[in-house]
Amino acid sequence: MNVISGVICAAIASGTVIILAAIGELLAERSGVMNLGLEGVMALGALAAIATERVFPNPFVGLLAAITVGLLLGVVYATATVSFRASQVLCGLGLSFFGAGLSGRLGAPLSGWTAPVPFQSIRIPLLADLPLVGNALFNQPFLVYFAYFILPPVVTFMLYRTRHGMHLRAVGEDPAAADACGIPVNRLRFLYTCIGCALAATGGAYITLAFTPSWIEGITGGRGWIAIALVIFGAWRPLPLVLGALLFGSVISLGFVAQIQGWGIPSSFLAMLPYLSTILLMAIPIALRSKAVRNLSASPSALGVPYLREGE
Amino acid sequence: MITHTVIPSGRTWHFRRRVDVPIWIRIMIRLLAVILALVLVGIVLKLGGFAPLTLGRKALQQTLGTAYGLQQAVILATPLILTGLAVAVGMRMRLWNIGADGQLYLGAFAATAVALHVKGPAPVMLSLMFIAGAIGGMLWILIPALLRAYWNLNEIITTLLLNFVAVRLITYYAIGPWRDTTAAILSSTRRLPYELPMIGNSYLHIGIFIPIIVAVLLTLAIQNTRWGYEVRVIGGSRSVAEFAGIPVLRQILVVMLLSGALAGLSGIIEVAGTTHRLSGTLSNSYGYMGIVVAALANGSPFGVLVAGFLLAVLLNAGIVLQTSGLSVNAMVAINGVILIFAAVGEIAAQYHLVRKASDSPGEAGNQGQEHVEDEQV
Repeated sequence: MNVISGVICAAIASGTVIILAAIGELLAERSGVMNLGLEGVMALGALAAIATERVFPNPFVGLLAAITVGLLLGVVYATATVSFRASQVLCGLGLSFFGAGLSGRLGAPLSGWTAPVPFQSIRIPLLADLPLVGNALFNQPFLVYFAYFILPPVVTFMLYRTRHGMHLRAVGEDPAAADACGIPVNRLRFLYTCIGCALAATGGAYITLAFTPSWIEGITGGRGWIAIALVIFGAWRPLPLVLGALLFGSVISLGFVAQIQGWGIPSSFLAMLPYLSTILLMAIPIALRSKAVRNLSASPSALGVPYLREGE
Repeated sequence: MITHTVIPSGRTWHFRRRVDVPIWIRIMIRLLAVILALVLVGIVLKLGGFAPLTLGRKALQQTLGTAYGLQQAVILATPLILTGLAVAVGMRMRLWNIGADGQLYLGAFAATAVALHVKGPAPVMLSLMFIAGAIGGMLWILIPALLRAYWNLNEIITTLLLNFVAVRLITYYAIGPWRDTTAAILSSTRRLPYELPMIGNSYLHIGIFIPIIVAVLLTLAIQNTRWGYEVRVIGGSRSVAEFAGIPVLRQILVVMLLSGALAGLSGIIEVAGTTHRLSGTLSNSYGYMGIVVAALANGSPFGVLVAGFLLAVLLNAGIVLQTSGLSVNAMVAINGVILIFAAVGEIAAQYHLVRKASDSPGEAGNQGQEHVEDEQV
């Protein structure tokens, strides 16, 4: 019983990082900008969060630092991609190399250091006493509540029930038509790319301030890429994305369990599981669709295409 | 991007899109991208207390100024050019193979498997290892290729995730069943019994010629064969290719598998020529740097030769400067900056400054002859 409860707890915690980054990416991709630099942004956000604890031992200050770093990187990326219309794939990969390299270089003096003041868990009185899920779901740092209970519903509501959300979706589907209606295409793209980066940096901050409150190089472990994959799994909708994040988190925590219980699977193979299962997760929605609609992608139609007003 | 600066005479300056971008401008822009990136790095280093010019001079001296340095650059260029070719051939069809690193590992893995378990005369074994390397790389890209061809699943993420899997697979074998039980080296296999022969007294092995041969073959194939033509058409517009009856699905598979095979080749050359042992740290991000190489070369195999060598010199400089406090991570970051600048530069090259009378800002540009952009070699 305790094992199951522990697995759920670890799954939810692992999932939080992914949800934060993935919803950020979802917003950016809905506006038509694919941000492949999430991994680098996450790494720099994680570093910024824990590095500020050297000066201000308060996790919220660290969080603020991470968000600032994310916004800054977002501005750089959006300028290159939206304003200058450079190739999103190349700029994204460049951002991710830059972030990974820079965080490794700047974080070297901090290697192995544990955060003195990580995020404290906030216990919700009645719900936390539920058997099995109570402790896992309702006795977590506030970022977990934010990622699971606040962010997805808010984003879903915004996207599908507000005019602004409709504008956003329009920009991602057919920016020329949106532009003709007077919607500021590039401004929306710029804004949501920056928001996406800020959320990814928040995910990074969660890693170093709550999940494993310490810093080593490569602590993000490819989660930025997995977040991008999960956006595809969730067909660009927030709720299936959360499901995917939970599934992914469960795979990771099963890996932990297998190691602890000594099931005899070599650790290298256990370490492969998250990545292999992500590929599987990406393929499932397409496999499940009927043959007729299989090749119709659920992605926003203008994803990855820089917007150029005709005649420019 | 249209910017206006009003000059009293009534004429204004505009950024106007070019009708056709000459090759020399494309090359210049990319060179400028690399130089600007290095300048930026220099500024950052200055702020961090280093002396960038001294470091730069020292790096250039030790990399291009000594025979050893030049040879090291050539040795480093070999995998970089091959992974660059792997990415470039996919780029021609707008397919992104980000998994070159993992395919490199699997190529090395397959070659090591053959070398450690099969015995035979060296030339035969080396040929077998080459074939095994290419097949290893192809197998590793097979699933992402199938998913992309048949289900249009984003190949960037699938190929990239397999990189992580590859490192762990190789690490398992290197510290497990194949580990070196005799030497004090804990994390790699034992020395491979078959090696690529060296060239005379130098540090170079004959494998350094392979990237050049492959680049020449690829250039000829892309420009002069039907396959190359089909690849170029698909890269230009998939729907046009489909209307023309070109088997797009098959070409996607062929090109991606070719890309994987090239990366696998770089793996076996690395393990049989340079390191002689398989370990989880075989690749110095060669696969990722291959992307930078291909981007700088704009998909042209000849350009990959030049860009690959350039980046090898840069990588070598980074290694040399490690003694002065620069870390390997800095090289990765610099590569990222180069990539972003090159991507922006590609767009910048498409515009030029034009001075026109202020009453005609909205004219669709018609500068001289209309000219269909030529795919350069």
